[in-house]
Amino acid sequence: MSLQYKLLFSRTTNRYSTFQALSRTVCRSKTYYSTQKLNNDTKNSPEDLVKNSELKSKPLDFTNNAPVKAGKESQVILSTSNYENPNYQLPKWKEALGEFVVKTFRLDMDKIRAGPIAGSHYYGLCKVQGLQYEDKKLSPSALFFYEDLKLPRTFSQWFQITILHEWLLFVRMRAMPFKYGHNYQQKLVDRTFIDIERRLVDEMNVNSGRIIDQYLKDFNSQLRGAVFAYDEGFATDDITLAEALWRNLFGGRKNIDMVHLEAMVRYVRSQLYVLSKTSDRDFGLGKFNFVPPDEVVYKLTPQQESELKDKTIKKYEALDRDPHTLPSERSNLSYKN
Amino acid sequence: MPGNISESAKVLVKLIEQLPEERIKHLVSFKDIQLKRFRPVAGISNSDEPAPKKPTLAEIKDIINRTKSPLGLQNDVLKKIAQATPKETFTVDSIDQQIKSLKALCENKYKTYYDVGNKLYRPAGNPNYYQRLLDELDGKRKENIFTAFRTVVFGK
Repeated sequence: MSLQYKLLFSRTTNRYSTFQALSRTVCRSKTYYSTQKLNNDTKNSPEDLVKNSELKSKPLDFTNNAPVKAGKESQVILSTSNYENPNYQLPKWKEALGEFVVKTFRLDMDKIRAGPIAGSHYYGLCKVQGLQYEDKKLSPSALFFYEDLKLPRTFSQWFQITILHEWLLFVRMRAMPFKYGHNYQQKLVDRTFIDIERRLVDEMNVNSGRIIDQYLKDFNSQLRGAVFAYDEGFATDDITLAEALWRNLFGGRKNIDMVHLEAMVRYVRSQLYVLSKTSDRDFGLGKFNFVPPDEVVYKLTPQQESELKDKTIKKYEALDRDPHTLPSERSNLSYKN
Repeated sequence: MPGNISESAKVLVKLIEQLPEERIKHLVSFKDIQLKRFRPVAGISNSDEPAPKKPTLAEIKDIINRTKSPLGLQNDVLKKIAQATPKETFTVDSIDQQIKSLKALCENKYKTYYDVGNKLYRPAGNPNYYQRLLDELDGKRKENIFTAFRTVVFGK
């Protein structure tokens, strides 16, 4: 694991939203168990579910003809640009100039923020979930996908895992005001394809521009198909969602373990639940992280929910009222929903 | 206990048969493929398609002798293919677990438990998004050239 890799991991895990902090405490404190009357099933995380499966299914492919090898640029998750380095400090004069410009021209920060938040931060989150290189150790979430769910360790499988997570974010972005949410979605998709193009050259050694274009078109149609299928499943029922996952994430394999499907449906629904409890402001500022597959999301009681809402409202009211808040930190997104 | 396995598998097959039909046709159908997979375990023949005629050993030997590649495969490749073809062994427990999982999915267990409410089902930025999608799928209200054009221009 490279240093950058580690940094991104530690950075993202520190960025847990208040909801996740709360839901974690819910997991730990025993008093809540009794009030919620959870049966045994709901105490299992998706990973527990998969690990308890009696059907020891084997990975589908016997030879991996296209292992993903770390290229020259894969030392970093996003890019070598300073602006995407979490430790980079902008020179004071640049910062002051930026704040001045934002203030004088009354720039809409929510629109500007779409690039760094959706195109960089959220894309990074989606990317690392299934990121794997042949000669590197797997991250905990990648272990879940490749070892527990027995998915093949290929580039296109990584793409499927990534678009599943991107779709989860799309669902939340649709609930933002249209002009912002749409912009966030656009930035996320743009970044995905820019990055795939880079990785195909750097890691998969595809040197022909024509072939890269073909791959990109193929990935584009996969993305459209997957988003459509997941949307259908999300809006209808669990079994439709499971079928969509089976077709896309599991590649329509015959020897699917239903327990794996159940675990993935649980994974998806629990992420969406967390997203539904995150306010526009929190989400728009990038304060969301996917719940790892080995953790359980418990439902909030009405009391906890109002507690959470009050906390968020208080935090952002204070921030908005504070005259020292920088122009670039201001936002018009609602913190009350 | 082979008898028990087929009994459990019969329950599973019945459950799969009750799955709703897909709204649009896909390349592969979950229901069909899983029926084909579990019917033999339950001892039911896949009646809707004629059983493929199995080539005799003499025929296979003949093919391998006559052709070198790609049909006359190397021994180790044949072995690999045999390994890759999923050969599954079921136990009563594993099938019961499959039934339990499938039941949970059919009962909408997670959709009801992790209810996201109208915040996500009727998203503020595009409240009719899912309704339009489902109407189109169910054939209730088809999109026409104008609505399609509107989506392209305005994004919703």
